[in-house]
Amino acid sequence: MLAIFKRDFRAYFTTPIGFVYLGGYILVLNLYFYLYNIANVSTRSNSLAGIFSFMLMVMMFLTPILTMRIFSEEYRQKTDQLLFTSPVKLSGLVMGKFLASLSIFFCLLLLSLLWPSAIALIGQNNMAEVLGNYLGIITIGAAYIAMGIFISSLTENQVIAAVGSLGLFVGLYLLEMLTANLATALPGWAVTALRFVSIFGRYSDISMGLLALDDFVYFLSICAVFLFLTVRVLEKRRWS
Amino acid sequence: MIEVKSLTKTYGKNRGIKGISFSIPEGQIVGFLGPNGAGKTTTMNIITGYLSADIGTVTVAGFDILEKPREAKRHIGYLPEQPPLHLGMTVEEYLDFVYELKGVRSPSQKDHIGSVCEMAGLTDVYFRLIGHLSKGFKQRVGLAQAMIGDPDVLILDEPTVGLDPRQIVEIRNVIKDMGKSRTIILSTHILPEVSAVCERVLVISQGLIVADDKPENLAGSIGGERTLLARIAGPKSQVLALLRDQDGIQNVSELGEMESGSHDFVLESRPNVDIRKPMFSALAKAGYPLLMLRPQDASLEEIFLKLTETGHEKTESEEG
Repeated sequence: MLAIFKRDFRAYFTTPIGFVYLGGYILVLNLYFYLYNIANVSTRSNSLAGIFSFMLMVMMFLTPILTMRIFSEEYRQKTDQLLFTSPVKLSGLVMGKFLASLSIFFCLLLLSLLWPSAIALIGQNNMAEVLGNYLGIITIGAAYIAMGIFISSLTENQVIAAVGSLGLFVGLYLLEMLTANLATALPGWAVTALRFVSIFGRYSDISMGLLALDDFVYFLSICAVFLFLTVRVLEKRRWS
Repeated sequence: MIEVKSLTKTYGKNRGIKGISFSIPEGQIVGFLGPNGAGKTTTMNIITGYLSADIGTVTVAGFDILEKPREAKRHIGYLPEQPPLHLGMTVEEYLDFVYELKGVRSPSQKDHIGSVCEMAGLTDVYFRLIGHLSKGFKQRVGLAQAMIGDPDVLILDEPTVGLDPRQIVEIRNVIKDMGKSRTIILSTHILPEVSAVCERVLVISQGLIVADDKPENLAGSIGGERTLLARIAGPKSQVLALLRDQDGIQNVSELGEMESGSHDFVLESRPNVDIRKPMFSALAKAGYPLLMLRPQDASLEEIFLKLTETGHEKTESEEG
């Protein structure tokens, strides 16, 4: 598992992928930060809530870049033959890859610490809000990565993997919009059910500082389910 | 060391393998021979645990590949048809990765990888990116990858494909060297490779094993009656008549004039008769010099064609 983790983490920086991912975020988000938190005196605020919800949008588009290669590239280069004929458990393999992507995501969060630091210089951070937003973005980020890895395990084409993940993320978002708009038209039980599975509802609870155990269990379960499904897909490939 | 029992795997219609069984003792170099699509790669992928068979079992070093995959895989080094290389890594990084991935425990990682590189002839390109290496060197990196961890069993899928003739000889020597202390299966469709390297040949055709023997026995058993190729100087009709008069000769056919003033003949002797001495005396007496005489053993190519043809007929009749 450690070997896979090290190799995959390094591969993000021996290919342009890691730089595109981090660079894309930094460019877009820092611009946002500058415009809304620094430059415009009239709207300028100490709150990071805006930039984090913007980050959530950007994440839908950039997470696929992070995860599209994970298994697709191994299939295409036939390096999966090395992985699957080595004395390694499939679960360890998937976990190693998951942690490698997650670490890149953490690199991004490390870079984003610039924002609260800048705010601290010119004003006062709302610590509860900052903490809540970080926890929220970590949980949803991990869930996205697990989903992206699962999609990547289904195809040997990176582009299909990326578009597939993007479709899944956007689809989930649209479902959320739909639930919000049809709340009055739908029967009560359906709204309750949709709210229960809603990723964004739970995300906003966490980011607003409502830390409930079930929300964390929920995100942990999403990661576990998708990583487990990935292991099953890899297992199934042997029998095809 | 390797025990394969009635492996069957079907892909769609009439592809894959149909009940392959064999057993390979420790320290043997076995050649898998067969035309493209015969099932060599499939069999190897199943032995190494990359694919699973529909029916049948594989045991490596006493461990079932499905029930104890990690224990079994620890004993196997595998070089697939396309070496599983990460082109963006240097040879050093890649072999370090493989070492860690396989969980090898040796006193010194550096020494172990160093000795593997020496064996595979990679010392000069150790710090170069794999993507920048020539095909021959990539093949060697693949071979080195299989040798990491010093496995007892090496499975090599067409290890010399795409190499230049000098590299082929070198890689074969590396394989022979390694075979002194290891069990090796190598697949190929190059026949001389089998006689150059292997102690035993398994011929696969259409997903079935059609022959299992030593390379030299294979040549003998299929060669049938002994045939000789003779080049004799002299007028064609008289020489032909004289040859036909010989008791031991069953059949004579004329091949034509290859060298001016002489003719080539293919002579087929009766079973267990050595016709060379009487024929030589007879020709000498008649004053027709014998310019050349050599046995025409069935070459491996012919054997191969014969075997795979019969395999083909067999499967067809089975299906019919």
